[in-house]
Amino acid sequence: MKMRAALLGAVAVMGLAPAAFAERGTDGEVKLTFPQAVSIMNPYLTGGTKDIYASSMVLEPLVGLDPQGVMVPKLVTEIPTKENGGISEDMTSITWKLIPDLKWSDGTPVTADDAVFTWQYCTHPEGGCSQATKFEGIASVEAVDPQTIKVTFNGPKANPYTAFVSALSPVLQKKQFEACLGAAAPTCTDANNMPIGTGPFKVTGFTVNDTVSMAMNENYRDPAKPAFASAVIKGGGDAEGSARAVMETGEFDYAWNTQIPPDTQASMLAAGKGQFVVAFGTLVERIEMNMTDPSAELPEGERATAKHPHPILSDIKVRTALSMAIDRSVLVEVGYGAGGKPTCNVIPAPDDWASDNTACLTQDMEGAKKLLDEAGWTDSDGDGIRDKDGKKLHLLYQSTVNPIRQDFQALVKDWWTELGVEVELKAIDPGVFFGGDPGSPDTFQKFYADVEMYANNSDSPDPEVYLGQYQCKNAPSPETQWQGENINRFCNPDYDKLYAELGGVTDVAKRQEIAKKLNDMVTKDSMVVVPLVHRGTLSAHSNSLGGVQINAWDSEMWNVADWFRVK
Amino acid sequence: MLTFTLRRLLLAIPTLLVISLVIFLLVDLAPGSPMSEIPLTVPPETRQKMIEALGADQPVFVRYFLWLRQFFWVEPAYVIDHWFGTSWAEGEQRILSWQSRSPVFTIIGQRLPQTMIVIGTAYLVGILIALPIGIYSAYRQYSLFDQGGTLFAMIGFSVPTFFSGTLFIIIFAVWLGWFPTKYDTTLNVTDWDSFLKQIRQMALPVMTLGLANAATISRYMRSSMLDNMTQDYVRTARAKGMTERIVVLKHVLRNSLIPVVTVIALGIPSIFGGAIITENLFGVNGIGAALIGAIHASDLPMVQTLAFIFAVLIVLFNLIADILYGFLDPRIRYD
Amino acid sequence: MLDAQPQPLVQVQDLKMHFPIYSGIFRKHTGDVKAVDGVSFDILPGQTLGLVGESGCGKSTVGRAMLRLYEPTAGRVIIDGDDVAKLAPEPLRKKRPTMQMVFQDPQASLNPRMTLAEIVSEPLDEHTNWTRDQKLERVYELMDQVGLNRRFVNRFPHEFSGGQRQRIGIARALALKPRFIVCDEPIAALDVSIQAQVVNLLEDLQEKLGLTYLFISHDLSMVRHLAQRVAVMYLGRIAELSPSKDLYARPLHPYAEALLSAVNEPDPELAARRNRIILKGDVPSPANPPKGCNFCTRCPKVMDICRTVKPDLLEVEPGRLVACHLYTAAGSTGASEANERNQQGETR
Ligand SMILES: Nc1ncnc2c1ncn2[C@@H]1O[C@H](COP(=O)(O)OP(=O)(O)OP(=O)(O)O)[C@@H](O)[C@H]1O
Ligand code: SF4
Ligand SMILES: [Mg+2]
Repeated sequence: MKMRAALLGAVAVMGLAPAAFAERGTDGEVKLTFPQAVSIMNPYLTGGTKDIYASSMVLEPLVGLDPQGVMVPKLVTEIPTKENGGISEDMTSITWKLIPDLKWSDGTPVTADDAVFTWQYCTHPEGGCSQATKFEGIASVEAVDPQTIKVTFNGPKANPYTAFVSALSPVLQKKQFEACLGAAAPTCTDANNMPIGTGPFKVTGFTVNDTVSMAMNENYRDPAKPAFASAVIKGGGDAEGSARAVMETGEFDYAWNTQIPPDTQASMLAAGKGQFVVAFGTLVERIEMNMTDPSAELPEGERATAKHPHPILSDIKVRTALSMAIDRSVLVEVGYGAGGKPTCNVIPAPDDWASDNTACLTQDMEGAKKLLDEAGWTDSDGDGIRDKDGKKLHLLYQSTVNPIRQDFQALVKDWWTELGVEVELKAIDPGVFFGGDPGSPDTFQKFYADVEMYANNSDSPDPEVYLGQYQCKNAPSPETQWQGENINRFCNPDYDKLYAELGGVTDVAKRQEIAKKLNDMVTKDSMVVVPLVHRGTLSAHSNSLGGVQINAWDSEMWNVADWFRVK
Repeated sequence: MLTFTLRRLLLAIPTLLVISLVIFLLVDLAPGSPMSEIPLTVPPETRQKMIEALGADQPVFVRYFLWLRQFFWVEPAYVIDHWFGTSWAEGEQRILSWQSRSPVFTIIGQRLPQTMIVIGTAYLVGILIALPIGIYSAYRQYSLFDQGGTLFAMIGFSVPTFFSGTLFIIIFAVWLGWFPTKYDTTLNVTDWDSFLKQIRQMALPVMTLGLANAATISRYMRSSMLDNMTQDYVRTARAKGMTERIVVLKHVLRNSLIPVVTVIALGIPSIFGGAIITENLFGVNGIGAALIGAIHASDLPMVQTLAFIFAVLIVLFNLIADILYGFLDPRIRYD
Repeated sequence: MLDAQPQPLVQVQDLKMHFPIYSGIFRKHTGDVKAVDGVSFDILPGQTLGLVGESGCGKSTVGRAMLRLYEPTAGRVIIDGDDVAKLAPEPLRKKRPTMQMVFQDPQASLNPRMTLAEIVSEPLDEHTNWTRDQKLERVYELMDQVGLNRRFVNRFPHEFSGGQRQRIGIARALALKPRFIVCDEPIAALDVSIQAQVVNLLEDLQEKLGLTYLFISHDLSMVRHLAQRVAVMYLGRIAELSPSKDLYARPLHPYAEALLSAVNEPDPELAARRNRIILKGDVPSPANPPKGCNFCTRCPKVMDICRTVKPDLLEVEPGRLVACHLYTAAGSTGASEANERNQQGETR
């Protein structure tokens, strides 16, 4: 694959480049551009990736994740484990040890109190903290001494590495945010825009939804880093404009999220100024099958609920046939190029966690037709559309307004039409589709359609939380105001049982095995979720920027302290 | 004239209040939620908490009256406090953007200069190009120049700015490398060098918008000139033996400018409104880019405030255009 | 008697004004509006020539083409020794002070954004190098002459009544002391009561300043006592050119006859002799005039020859020029004694 080669090339360049032994602040300015501008620098008050990535250059968690999804200490001396005594035998507490003499960028010492405060800040009931899940199940966070943080859980916790891990959950400075607890959180404009952190840079200027100006942090723990004396993140425009500013005009060093059509990628690459890098996380573009009947004839309140199983899609043979008719490699070629690869998994990465499920990768139109015949769907009146018991095989296929998704819808419609399925397409404004408004009929949770397409991912390499979505209890329904992540209303007691088991297993290999099984249960065993494309985040960096290690598990700027100017 | 102005201003108050309510309801009814940009990995309970923290779960009329109070009382009080060191607005909540949690007026204040400079310059450049083209096209109607002017206007009208902008980027930034494609807001003009830099970074957006503006205004100018050129008073001027220059520039042009000036004045609020597409394309952090960003993120307070200010400006500039008309055309008197 | 006759101040010879018609997307030249199609006459200094005819017959166009407010298609316009139709732009501009025009529509002919003082004094800026005070003095003088109150000097045209506006138009025309003025229906847009005032004003001025007028009107009775001679126009051509008392007493051309039959005759004796002639049909379009006599489509006395041959303007009686086959040898019932005369009647 072309992208592999490019990536290997990038690695080779990095390997050959003189390591950055340079002194701090000798390489001038590094310029980044994001297609979506940064709104706020406090990751706890935003869900936007742009904001989280930008703030990761300033605020740091105790540990980060490397490109393989492996934890690397940032503010702590080592990763606590059962073996080194950092995790209690009964799995109910974890103890972190701060690096000695650690300082905030304003020169004051970092202490365990700051971590305790951060926990209070995010768990305050009126604060509206967007990362509250990271602190779920925590009974208390205490400062044992200024260097020691002890996190106690409500019960045994199989994965204790959630709070203070990765850019989603950094440590805030107590002194700066003390007055910003709860309802006051949004009003602390200065603190939210210019937080004091421990990262390699500190904010010197912030214009909302436009530019973040940063200077190197004089108090950064590694005296030789960062190589750049200043950094700037310019936001706005579109993916193509961002990519062009790096790849063609060379105005910027790094562009995050440059999702552009494959042919444009190729022509920009030809300019020879930079290269694309792809972070493959767990983002999967998929078709979700509705297991309940979305018919408008049903009374409101019963429509698309477990009361009425789907008249067509409840049959696994139909679901399987629909999946078999799709040629996933064509989808990748059309929509993503180097930024995607075909997949049959809901959990496609990291490798150790991904099932070896590849059966769906080859299209099998004949096999699909045979399956539908077997299921009793035949074209009895010769109009090219299959029917059964006088009912046509008709599906409403919805997605969001997005050029790639509309291409996908058209392609899939062609294949399914060839199969003898009548397909009706619908595209919904993303703000409405993902908006979650219980009053709107067009949200993805309400699922007033037969199949729908979107992308979703796990925000950590360990997919436990993510797999939890498919439990019976998480099905959206009128009783839950249509909230809930089990979009398909998939309900399999075996799945729920196995999932519950996962919560108690601490052995990583065992966890991986269970995760793969759960993955298979919703994909190849039941075909409730039909994965299409494993999507990466395409970013671009100029050839003169060294040290970039693209990372899907943490901020892409996770190692910005190591970036340097190639001379 | 003064009583006319005062009467119109008084009349504007109820109008604007109604407009503000209509905008509020429209913006509120528009589909979308402030949470739509939050990744799916954030669970529903957390989302609900976040919505409550924003106050977005309050009934619409509660939010409307809160906004009215904030707009007409808290924000002015805040400004007064700022100037005179009083404490009228102490402890009062300013209008906060849902997306960034910053005060909406702070954001507007940050963005207005760019909009004024870039979009304003584009407007000015557009006018400066348009007037001579319109005048000469009319003076030499059906000449080659006029045909060229018509073609130019057609292009300016029909080519959308995202297309012309992208074309300019490819030609002037990618191929020729003359101008940057992204506007650097942090640039401070302090000396000759930084001034040149500022000019260069303004070049592409100004070109893109100037073309579109020039197209419209040149057409107005041309047709207004043509209207006047065949008038008897122009013949009178010729009969007086005035030189051609005076006939065209003094008699025809001065009368033709009356409607054009009005059109130009009416277009000024659109400078404030910014140019959504152009600003976005070139990374000019102006009002237009803020508005579109806020709409995408369903940032209601931001959208509402901007839309309302926009409405105020439109009402205001309509009045100004009327007054200007009366000023320029002695035949019109408002008494 | 012959040598005592002064030289004419204005001589128009075979003046033509054709407006091209373009059509189609490529604006192809597809024809011409023959608004004026071969008009000749002359005016003696200090005299007035009346020009009458129905609306649209080309009267204004004659006046404008004469003063080069249009570029004439053909012909000569000799005013005070210069052929105005051929003058280069700069000499033409220099020439303009001698020839002026009072326009048909007093409102439209005044620049709405200029005050009376500016309108009247503007030509002085161009053609004299007087001081401001001198110019203002001249403006006042002119205002007195046309009977405008000096207080109005800084008013805009829209602040005046119609009659006052026409007085401004006249004052403006007089500013440069012209010798020849085209009065293009100066009273048409005015009230009857004011019409008389303006006509009297024009007469007074002519007497005082020795002006020469071309007085365009469709009101025949008004022309009658203003003009020494009257030209009757029909569809871009002159039908009859006669001394006014002859014309009014005994029109020769069938069109002039029809036109006069509609005029109120103050003399009851003459009125009794006259019976109204009602013309049928519409005036043909000047873009497409009839092949023969322009009047042949409506003439009550039309003959066969009229439809094929255009009659020339000939002197049929001393001092009377008529363009009609009734008076030519070719016309069967025509006045055979008609003298073949040079069109301009210069030898009169
Ligand atoms: N600029 C022009 N282009 C084309 N045709 C014209 C133009 N000016 C006048 N005409 C035509 O020439 C003809 C004579 O017009 P003109 O204004 O001389 O009439 P008029 O005798 O003065 O009529 P009125 O008594 O109504 O003023 C009319 O048919 C008119 O339509
Ligand atoms: S020439 Fe014939 S048509 Fe023309 S006016 Fe004389 S008689 Fe009538
Ligand atoms: Mg006329």
